Amino acid sequence: MKKTHIVLLVLMVAAISVLVSVFGSFSTYETFASAAKQPGKSYYVVGNLQKDQEMQYDPAKDPNHFIFYAKDKAGNTSKVIFNGEKPRDIEKSEQLVMMGYQDGSTFHCSRIQMKCPSKYKKDMVVEGKSS
Amino acid sequence: MEFIGEHLVPGKLGHFFVITSFVAAFFSAFSYFRAVRTEQTDPVASRSWLLFGRGGFVLHTVSIVSIFAALFYIIENHLFEYHYAWEHSSLSLPGKYLLACFWEGQEGSFMLWTFWHCVLGLVVMRTARGLETRTMAIIALVQVCLATMILGIYLGPEIQLGKTPFILLRHSMQNAPIFASANYMSFVTDGNGLNVSLRNYWMVIHPPVLFLGFAATLIPFAYCIAALWKGEYQTFIKPTIAWSLFNGAVLGTGIMMGGAWAYESLNFGGYWAWDPVENASLVPWLTLIAGLHTLLVYKATGRALSLTFVLLLLTHLLVWYSTFLTRTGILGKTSVHAFTGDGKALTYHLLVVIAILLVVTVALLVARWRGLPRIKTEEETLSREFWMFIGSVILFLSSIQIAISTSIPVWSPLAKWISGKDFAPPTDPMLHYNNIQVWIAIITGILSASVLYMRFKNSDGKTLGKRLGITALIGLAMAAAIGYGQHITTWQYDIMLFAACFGIVANIYYGIIVQKAKFKKLGASVAHLGFAMVLLGILLSSYNKHAISFNITGEEFNPGKKSAAENAKENSENELLFRGVASPMGEYQATYLDDSASIKGKDKIIYYNIFFERRDPKTKEITESFYLHPDAFVNTKGEGVLTVNPSTKHYWDHDVFTFINHIHGGQLDKGKSDTISYKSHMVEKPGDTIYLSSGFMIFNGLDRRATDHRYSAGDSDLTVSARLTVYDNKGKAVKDIAPLYVLKNRREVLHVEDTVAGMFLNVRFENLVVHSPTSVTTEIMVKQTDSDFIVLKALVFPFINVLWLGIIVMVFGFFISLGNLLSRATASKGQPE
Repeated sequence: MKKTHIVLLVLMVAAISVLVSVFGSFSTYETFASAAKQPGKSYYVVGNLQKDQEMQYDPAKDPNHFIFYAKDKAGNTSKVIFNGEKPRDIEKSEQLVMMGYQDGSTFHCSRIQMKCPSKYKKDMVVEGKSS
Repeated sequence: MEFIGEHLVPGKLGHFFVITSFVAAFFSAFSYFRAVRTEQTDPVASRSWLLFGRGGFVLHTVSIVSIFAALFYIIENHLFEYHYAWEHSSLSLPGKYLLACFWEGQEGSFMLWTFWHCVLGLVVMRTARGLETRTMAIIALVQVCLATMILGIYLGPEIQLGKTPFILLRHSMQNAPIFASANYMSFVTDGNGLNVSLRNYWMVIHPPVLFLGFAATLIPFAYCIAALWKGEYQTFIKPTIAWSLFNGAVLGTGIMMGGAWAYESLNFGGYWAWDPVENASLVPWLTLIAGLHTLLVYKATGRALSLTFVLLLLTHLLVWYSTFLTRTGILGKTSVHAFTGDGKALTYHLLVVIAILLVVTVALLVARWRGLPRIKTEEETLSREFWMFIGSVILFLSSIQIAISTSIPVWSPLAKWISGKDFAPPTDPMLHYNNIQVWIAIITGILSASVLYMRFKNSDGKTLGKRLGITALIGLAMAAAIGYGQHITTWQYDIMLFAACFGIVANIYYGIIVQKAKFKKLGASVAHLGFAMVLLGILLSSYNKHAISFNITGEEFNPGKKSAAENAKENSENELLFRGVASPMGEYQATYLDDSASIKGKDKIIYYNIFFERRDPKTKEITESFYLHPDAFVNTKGEGVLTVNPSTKHYWDHDVFTFINHIHGGQLDKGKSDTISYKSHMVEKPGDTIYLSSGFMIFNGLDRRATDHRYSAGDSDLTVSARLTVYDNKGKAVKDIAPLYVLKNRREVLHVEDTVAGMFLNVRFENLVVHSPTSVTTEIMVKQTDSDFIVLKALVFPFINVLWLGIIVMVFGFFISLGNLLSRATASKGQPE
């Protein structure tokens, strides 16, 4: 067996173990309910803004605290606390991809990606610092 | 119906050239193909096919240039009857951005790519000699594929092949009622304009360089195909090395420019975010560099040919795959700045093109695989080729990891079908990539330091050990000093720090001592030195990147209603700056002084003037002060989203990088705040109080002195000032103010207002009613506007200049090697055989 082959074999093993660990660190898209099964663990939840429910944001008190309600794809609504500033024009968003964890009835969100109806606008990502 | 005011000639010409470019590319590809087929059987026919092929390619190039000219004419003359001009430009757009709006759109960027292929193709045509027919056949074939992207021909009622940039507005929006009137052009007075966030000099220079880098991957691809096709594996080596060097330099520059653009003028919060669009340009660069190294191995030893082919062929295919990822909208959910897709048509179109190229590549590789020259014997452990080979494989593995992670949306439907899990990108992408790539950086860093010391075939172990030992020791000392000074405590990153320092020391030592600083030969060591500097720069600037803006608004604004968990958010990295109020920010005091709006066209850009000063902690004297001007604008092209540009203070050893996260009041709400009216308050005697929405004012009496510097009293003026002290809502005195009441020449009343910027307070001495010498009623008008503040994020990037310098050094190294290779080629050509 050639040395190159041995080295390649070692690298292959390394690559495979790396790949396995890589797959482990991928997240999944969940709903509020399924995210609640693992409280504290971060997931992505796709949903949309509940426009009829109140949004709270007072930057003079805390620029990194924004509360709103969102409905996930399963149709459940949850209160969302976003640790960041209120994304401008979130009212116009069609879809929200929220990253965070569920804790009881509240989804603690540290990143929001909005999809807006305009075809020509780029998607917008808003990041907050998770607590 | 005849429409009034349209200019149809440039569009018709443009469309004619679109068709011509397609037909000419097809003709060229076919002719070159025939030239190859008749090469052995009929040299005379082959020669004429070759000439046909050249003619076709030249005609194709002329057509592409003409399309460019026609589209540029349309944009420059603001012919908004064309959808492309209407969509991407506007009357108010400065001339320098006309080119930028050219490639803002899908069609324009495809044309830019095509154009570079033409330019490079002409160079190959002149220089490829014995490989011309085969390389050009491939290049022309790719041009056929690219030309279909802008054809815009309907194959059926629903299926459109490509999108032409010359489509008229009234055709692209057929159902809009405005186009029912013949004079619709009199209503279309201005275009949409270039996206404001792209109005930036980077948008003018970054796409051409990056696309040149993408386009250049075609040439090594074509040479590899040509070599496989011909079954002859010698003549392609030199030109492929030269083109790969050129390609590595240009694509590297393009990627760096993307990072610099993100850093200088976009709010990604840094230069690299492992965003899919960034990854899409990095992955082909990694495979290209790996392929270049295995090709050098093949040239010197005859080994590693098959891997070279795989890597260099893959590089160009990956560019197409990148295009697929970033343009079809498939990344939708995962990318910050992927293009919005043009829908299914483009997806299938690109898939077909990729399939064609993949079939050609794989078929050729499979057919020739067994016949590829290989060397039976084993490499020596201390040989350069052995370690170069390993380095290349490592780079390849690195690209595979990035590609798999970036392609989640592509394979997740399959994974869902198998496992039932709906895969999403990692919740912390930086960590996800860094955890793996740090090992790649360590291995490649150490290899790039040591591999040059080894010789091909075999090396003298003693000399090697001595040289590597010395440089590694110096590198270790350097790493220890930096690691201690910069507090780098994570052990993986300490190893990476050593790898980078070792790389820097070893390559400088090699260049000066071993190669005796002979400029021509320095290419490899300079490029490796640059690479090690890049590693060091990345490590230093990201490991110790930290925010200095914290939300320390304190009790005044934070009534403490939050839960304990939310209070843990004390370290939120956004700081609230009220206008005129100094707040601590790191070692600075930052004050938001004022804002100003530039109103050009429809887009209002607001510039914020923020004053930073640093005081000596002991003496309290100001040691440094500067202004930063981050800006923000409401993007009228999209949905009115706030877009911001950062502003950065550069020091030699670190950058202070600031950008605005939220704005309130000021120029943004100008017009709204003016509607707030003054409230009248009557005061009689000193000690009377006027209540404000936040705090109060005490009247101290009247005074004949006028101390306001904005007013100088005339001889016959009667001047009275009202002395007032303003307190905040905690009862702390904020400021003494003295608004003036002036009887100019004892006839005309003049008010000089006084203000308290921090409380958004305007105070006017409105009137004075004298009842008796002892009884005077003073009317004070008070306006307290809504608060005016910004939320600012400030980050410190230490030693980021090492990164930029490293990339420049690396690119410079590529060009030294390229120059050396070309000068040797011309020298050997000039010599008599």
